[in-house]
Amino acid sequence: MHSVCCIKQVPDTAEVRIDPDTNTLVRAGVESISNPYDIVALEEAVSLKDRYGGRVTALCMGPPQAEHSLREALSLGADRVILLSDRAFAGADTLATSYTLSKAMEKLAKEHPIDLVFCGKQAIDGDTAQTGPGIATRLDCTQFTYVLKVDWVDLQKRQIQVTRKREGGREVIRGPLPALLTAELELAVPRRASLPLLISSLQAQVEAWDAKTLEASLNELGIKGSPTWVRAITSPPAREGGPAFDVSREGEAQAVSMALDTLMDEKGFLSKLLKRWEA
Amino acid sequence: MAKNSKGIEVAEILQDKCIACQICIGECPVGAIDLSPEGLALVDPELCIGCGKCQESCPVEAVKFERAGKKELSREDRGMPSEGVPGYEGVAVFIEVQDGEGVQVSWELMGKARELAEKLSTRVLGFLLGEGVDHIAREAFAHGCDEVHVSEHEVLASYRSAPYGHALTRLCERVKPEILLMGATHQGRDLAGVVATHLKTGLTADCTDLSIEDRTRLLLMTRPTFGGNIMATIYCEHRRPQMSTVRPMVMKLPERTPGREGRKVFHEWTPPPVELPHIVEFMGDALEGGMDIVQSAALVVAGMGACDPEAFHLLQELADVVGGTLACSRPVVEAGLLPYERQVGQTGKTVAPKLYIAVGVSGAIQHLVAIQGAEKIVAINPDPNAPIFKVADVGIVGDYARVIPEFINQLKNRMGA
Repeated sequence: MHSVCCIKQVPDTAEVRIDPDTNTLVRAGVESISNPYDIVALEEAVSLKDRYGGRVTALCMGPPQAEHSLREALSLGADRVILLSDRAFAGADTLATSYTLSKAMEKLAKEHPIDLVFCGKQAIDGDTAQTGPGIATRLDCTQFTYVLKVDWVDLQKRQIQVTRKREGGREVIRGPLPALLTAELELAVPRRASLPLLISSLQAQVEAWDAKTLEASLNELGIKGSPTWVRAITSPPAREGGPAFDVSREGEAQAVSMALDTLMDEKGFLSKLLKRWEA
Repeated sequence: MAKNSKGIEVAEILQDKCIACQICIGECPVGAIDLSPEGLALVDPELCIGCGKCQESCPVEAVKFERAGKKELSREDRGMPSEGVPGYEGVAVFIEVQDGEGVQVSWELMGKARELAEKLSTRVLGFLLGEGVDHIAREAFAHGCDEVHVSEHEVLASYRSAPYGHALTRLCERVKPEILLMGATHQGRDLAGVVATHLKTGLTADCTDLSIEDRTRLLLMTRPTFGGNIMATIYCEHRRPQMSTVRPMVMKLPERTPGREGRKVFHEWTPPPVELPHIVEFMGDALEGGMDIVQSAALVVAGMGACDPEAFHLLQELADVVGGTLACSRPVVEAGLLPYERQVGQTGKTVAPKLYIAVGVSGAIQHLVAIQGAEKIVAINPDPNAPIFKVADVGIVGDYARVIPEFINQLKNRMGA
């Protein structure tokens, strides 16, 4: 079984802050990490390899330093890693990204046909959840997003069954291989790298493919292949806050009373509350 | 102004403004820009030819570049009126169906589509897929839709990515809407990526604001990015439809006009002859308390500062008094104390209740972006510097374990109980 896992290197958005004085993004000291959902997806690919045999290839599109994410993938059990890096890939939106990744997979499939493609359900920097469906559509894979569990894979009958999240619950769904899965955090618990793998991952040579290697059409790559453009970047809209009453100054009873006065100031608030918000 | 050894005035990246979008790297004709190890764009002055393309393409004005004699174009000038893409007309909404009815987010989008369509002097379209669903068209008309385009087939009886993607793509190709809006639900996000890829058009996820740019008639799609730290306004100039997904509760539900009429158009659809996945089983979420936090008019929300199972009785009591539901922020879900379905935030749900009581919620930006639509925000937190107080309509600085019993008591008194 050949599984391919797509990994994105992202800024750790939990660490990104806005400088309140200059209203700009403070990126100093913000680390680049592998998208956590992708690492969960990789773990599932590796544990399915442990169960059914085969190989796992990890792909990452990004600037040269994104190879750190691929070394991490090696340390976590990927057999082969490929960095997709080229100036022509820069500035890609999700349409151009899914094109680049699917071109790499077409090339990989010539050596070893692909049975499963794994992606995180979304990346924590953009949160779009669009690249996975884009790849599935381009490669004509069965698409399963928001996967919580892989129930089984039947390589003889070329079928897979997964449990996935959907509106109002979970569904168990079965379909033909090749399939593309996007991972929820619940899908797997990433392992810790073993020391030997960690060491060999640091010494490994990371293979790099550029636009030429992919035999990609330049018009579909990067900024040229991206129909969406950024017109402006702004700060999130600010909401005007009201007063805060401090218990240490006013005491509980008084602070609560003043807070409720403020709330009740709005005409009709009490009656809406009493009517349990029914119009 | 910096010059290189050849005497060319070169571009410079303002490090505190750069957001590492890499657009300039793609635009630079000589490959003079790279991403630095810190993840910011950097110009190699010896390679730079001073063409200024990086400055023109930078969305955040992070490129410092002046060239003598060159008239600097203002941002306005650069957003020149577009001819648009001829042959595409109408603002379409994909009507998501659950249990034989259109879901609320589709009607919220219908209201927005109406507003956009009026600005463009065009009509509002509804795209409806399923089996035995054409009665839903009536609801679409009542919410402001002019024309509903329906494809019905037994294969569309339950949602699966490939046949829905195929059918919705066909509808877009036949009807040619200039804009297509979809709910950012699990289904909507699953489907939007498929359709946009088939149509090779632009798609913007989770928009919080949609408007038409006067001069260009383009759809401006604003969405939070970098975990909600900044808002990006995206546009799609050359491809159609301009596609966007929007979360439930972000747009206002329009007023319903019963009996409003519209046109219904049926479109034949034949499923592609491929093996489709088969849904084996569906397990509905058991919503404890029976209430979806998105639908609840009042929420009592536990944050990291109230991440304690003991606290939940007290919070539930408060929720009962205000006629609301218990919800939480991310740390509470990560601690395993409440299920994901109860999580408010960028990675959880967007909510817009009448009353939102935050207990021990610090107010990280990822949480705040998802409560923009709340009518009244009450914050209870011991830290007077917690960011939640900046957005709360009223705050109480103190320990919730002592404040909430007092709050419940006084509120009951005022309610006459």
